[in-house]
Amino acid sequence: MSMNDPIARGLAAGWKVTDASTLTSNQTAEADVVVIGTGAGGGTTAEILARQGLAVILVEEGRLYYQKDFKMDELTSYANLYQEGMSRTTADGAIAILQGRCVGGSTTVNWTSSFRTPDETLTYWSRQFGLDSLTPDAMAPWFQGREERHTMAPWQTDPNLNNDILRQGCEKLGYTWQVIPRNVKGCWNSGYCGVGCPTNAKQGALMTTIPGALDNNARMYHGLRAEKLVMNQDRIDHLQASAMGPDGVTPSGVTVTLKARHFVVAASAIGSPGLLLRSQLPDPHQRVGKRSFIHPVNATVARMPANVDPFYGAPQSIYSDQFNFSQGVDGPVGYKLEVPPLHPAMAAGVVPGHGPDQLADLSQLARMQSVIALLRDGFHEQSPGGTVTLRDDGSPVLDYPVTDYLWQGIRQAYLHMAEIQFAAGAEAVRAMHLDSTWYKTWAEAKAAIAELPMKPHRARLFTAHQMGGCSMGSNPEDSVVNGFGEHHHVPNLSIHDASIFPTSIGANPQLSVYALAARNSTRLAQKLRSHG
Amino acid sequence: MNRRSFLKTGVGGAVFLGTVSLTAGLSGCATAPAGRVSAVDSRMDASYRFQFLSKDDIALFEALLPAMFAGALPEEPNQRQFAVAATIERIDQGIVQFGAPNQKELRKLFDLLNFAPTRVTLARVWSDWPSVTTGEADAFLNRWRNSRIGLLNNGYIALSKICNVAFYGHQNQWHLTSYPGPQEWIVNVLPQFKNT
Repeated sequence: MSMNDPIARGLAAGWKVTDASTLTSNQTAEADVVVIGTGAGGGTTAEILARQGLAVILVEEGRLYYQKDFKMDELTSYANLYQEGMSRTTADGAIAILQGRCVGGSTTVNWTSSFRTPDETLTYWSRQFGLDSLTPDAMAPWFQGREERHTMAPWQTDPNLNNDILRQGCEKLGYTWQVIPRNVKGCWNSGYCGVGCPTNAKQGALMTTIPGALDNNARMYHGLRAEKLVMNQDRIDHLQASAMGPDGVTPSGVTVTLKARHFVVAASAIGSPGLLLRSQLPDPHQRVGKRSFIHPVNATVARMPANVDPFYGAPQSIYSDQFNFSQGVDGPVGYKLEVPPLHPAMAAGVVPGHGPDQLADLSQLARMQSVIALLRDGFHEQSPGGTVTLRDDGSPVLDYPVTDYLWQGIRQAYLHMAEIQFAAGAEAVRAMHLDSTWYKTWAEAKAAIAELPMKPHRARLFTAHQMGGCSMGSNPEDSVVNGFGEHHHVPNLSIHDASIFPTSIGANPQLSVYALAARNSTRLAQKLRSHG
Repeated sequence: MNRRSFLKTGVGGAVFLGTVSLTAGLSGCATAPAGRVSAVDSRMDASYRFQFLSKDDIALFEALLPAMFAGALPEEPNQRQFAVAATIERIDQGIVQFGAPNQKELRKLFDLLNFAPTRVTLARVWSDWPSVTTGEADAFLNRWRNSRIGLLNNGYIALSKICNVAFYGHQNQWHLTSYPGPQEWIVNVLPQFKNT
């Protein structure tokens, strides 16, 4: 184990970190604030509160994995670092959900893309949801602060060929493109962000705010699943949590009870509604779990005439917003175009096939290039989002019906992605769709894509960004928390993660979560310190 | 009973038919994890302990994998058996990490495929899995892939995804995708790779 690694050093220096799988008897602990979740929202919150001298307990359902565990290996990483071992899907199985489940949350496995919330989105939120204090000007200092904290900057190294092909195609067609800002420090340009950064270059929660919180006396439990917030009269009295066994997924039977003056929920857009629903907290207008958004993703794959090696190099460095707000913020659905890395397990899992055809496709991996479209859902009445509910066993499940409005955008996106790939010199392009073959020309692709059935399962859909479900807004009739993440009906409860977004963002969401959590935690710290 | 009326008996919102596990259990369908499988049965050494897949599930995958990986498996019979058995073990390991909710969904899917009445009505596979030929297995996979019934498409994607990830994602199969593995110059200098 390397003593240059901040986690190893911190643990050796005596950080208060408990692996809940080692607990043998039920126990209770107490703090000023209990923070549930150690991702973008939880890490930011815990560091700010701890730095202000408040006693903080962090609770993480996943386990603590760090450099010693990050061996650039897909199979172990997908099993250990992702929700449900990378098997999570929406209720009907039609959309694969990529979400982190480990200390650092999704920021431990994301591809480092860092964007401020688009002005159009903030303006829409002010107009539609009464969130007047979330203007671009008001949010600017919070974005700047988090950009510094997470070392965010436009990527200076040349894009890998996988990304450059998006740039080349856009150039040829006169579509705009930009360089993606990344939250990295001393990045080795390896391309393994998605399986845990092996060099500690990625400045997610694991390398920044979690050590920051623990350095300031916070205590963290990992392998501990928040089950229920229990109220006493009108306030939350304690959190009931279950310890997971060593496999990380089977409860050990040990219960931990955590008491605090204030509770901050940051368990993700699926986890947070789940926790609130299990706790049966006051929800007079049934808003919890509603308006859940995902940036639905569809994709095309190109076979290029020469090697692309889409498994090496910074995974995301070029994007195009040509189609994101081009038809207005609330017109036909917009989408952001990006590029995904392609490693063998991921590629084999997303290319929908078997037998000799599958082998033929995958044998070309080194020459493959892919473009993804992230649809900006939630800005139109025909995009009301999905719903998080509880299964019989209390676990949360997202049901996300894809509406005709979204299907139209999905078809448009297939067309634009294929057009761009052919413009960049692709030999052949196929849509990630059960009924797509390899198209040899743009004309052939255009005609074929127009006929592809836009149906669940046949179109392969994904989400790497989960948002909403505990929407913020000024009106309690259509929101769960106010503009500061404070719960409308429970005085000592805040929500500081992506579940508070009233629509999707229209950009990779980590910076939006960091900035809102920083702003809301700063206010919370002042409130708690002045009330002694 | 015909396919459509059988499908309608599913519990609302469940991906796979809630009723099947119950019926399968009553008919004596073995759904307990296989635990250790004898060296003869597994064609490997007997040290791996199955935590999820039952003996029937293993037989199902032994029938499906030659079709899933047609053209990609080694020709030589011992190596071929090793590749199939090793992939099935990895599938089992992967499923452990899925956690209870998705394990339940897979249990329903596998039970549906292992219970003769539903194997026949929904998969149109007449013989039991150990007797199914590679051609028949491939025909079944294509039927579900091309079906107009979303539930069956979902079954195809779930099965193919689990198999493809476990197979193509493993080091022993990287040569099939020409994936060189993590860059050697990085592996050679990072501390987590030392002494492994």
